[in-house]
Amino acid sequence: MSAIAAYGLRVDLPRAWEGRLFRRARPLRAADHPEAYGHPDGSVNPVLHLGNFALPPGRGDYGTGAVERMGAAHVFLSLVEFDREEADRPLFSAQEVPRLDVADFDPRSLQRHIPGQLGCQRFFTENGRAFCLYIVLGSRRHAAALVAQADTVLAGLEVAAQ
Amino acid sequence: MALVLVQTVLLTVLTVLVAGLLRAHGTVLRRLHQLDGGAPVDEGTPAFALGPTARPDPRAEADLPAYDVSGETPDGAVVTARLVDVDHDTLLLFLSSGCETCQPFWDDLAAPPPLPARTRLLVVAQSFDAESPAELARLAAPDVDVVLSSDAWRDYRVPGSPHMVLVDGSTGRVRGEGTGQSLRQVLRLLVRSTGDSGLVASDSGGRSDHDAQQEAVADHALLAAGILPGDPRLYGEDA
Repeated sequence: MSAIAAYGLRVDLPRAWEGRLFRRARPLRAADHPEAYGHPDGSVNPVLHLGNFALPPGRGDYGTGAVERMGAAHVFLSLVEFDREEADRPLFSAQEVPRLDVADFDPRSLQRHIPGQLGCQRFFTENGRAFCLYIVLGSRRHAAALVAQADTVLAGLEVAAQ
Repeated sequence: MALVLVQTVLLTVLTVLVAGLLRAHGTVLRRLHQLDGGAPVDEGTPAFALGPTARPDPRAEADLPAYDVSGETPDGAVVTARLVDVDHDTLLLFLSSGCETCQPFWDDLAAPPPLPARTRLLVVAQSFDAESPAELARLAAPDVDVVLSSDAWRDYRVPGSPHMVLVDGSTGRVRGEGTGQSLRQVLRLLVRSTGDSGLVASDSGGRSDHDAQQEAVADHALLAAGILPGDPRLYGEDA
């Protein structure tokens, strides 16, 4: 099984899953890529992108540029770290990496609405580090299987204290 | 008697050495000839051999296994790209920032030509200790996936750049490999070899089935002749 690791994050990648783990030198701007306008104040903290499909270059922090290319049986996962002081805020009060349930997913949770897709967003703190987890499913038809895959991936996510 | 024996042995060793040098010299000359844009020495063998109508590359005949690619991007992102056991194919483009014969490929990548359906393009350069990330970042357009991975060069036994490898994602095997003069030329050969009409497929929304069928037939015939979208011959110009 492959793994991807950097910046105190490590995750095993099941079959067909691939990943990108990066920290932007500067916030992403729309001019960087015509489709990558996901977040006007893109994170300069670590960002982890995972998916069971070919992740394209030039993605926004929350997957803009990638989710448009997803098929029905695809799932995209973004883990965006926030500044350390955010960990004390109520938004990040949940401790430990969340586990997923199909009932958590809803089209209204999508950052970029694409017909057929479902989204889920969770904020949490692990080892004193604040994160936003955002997941997009390609379709409701495959939701159960996709959530199971994503949940397995999250079960193997390791966050080191920094 | 002993002197004659020693001289015979020396003569044999020298003969072997000279033969080896001549063979290596011939290989270098042949390679330079090809890089210079000369006609292939082995007439009839396209630079990118693929499919039953092309004479297969000896290494392609071996049906080599493919490997996933792990490395870093020029701006330091950690990458694990899946090529095996996936629902897409991958065209690996092994390039260097300092190789002159790679320049036409970098030029083509500034406005990448359409790829066959379900095919991803991944540019692979050598790792940071053997490459200039700043130069790669300058050469590669922002929407081109570039991974620095000397491991991938070793896994795919890349003889030099430019070099292309087409990986079948479902079988996890190498479908073909070779070199070429430009990305457009390689893709043209690729389309001709596979007869892939996916390049222009799924573009018929809203039209009648009859129109779509007619267009598909025309597209297939054009692709079979190696004429891609944007080809000047479509507009009455010489190629």
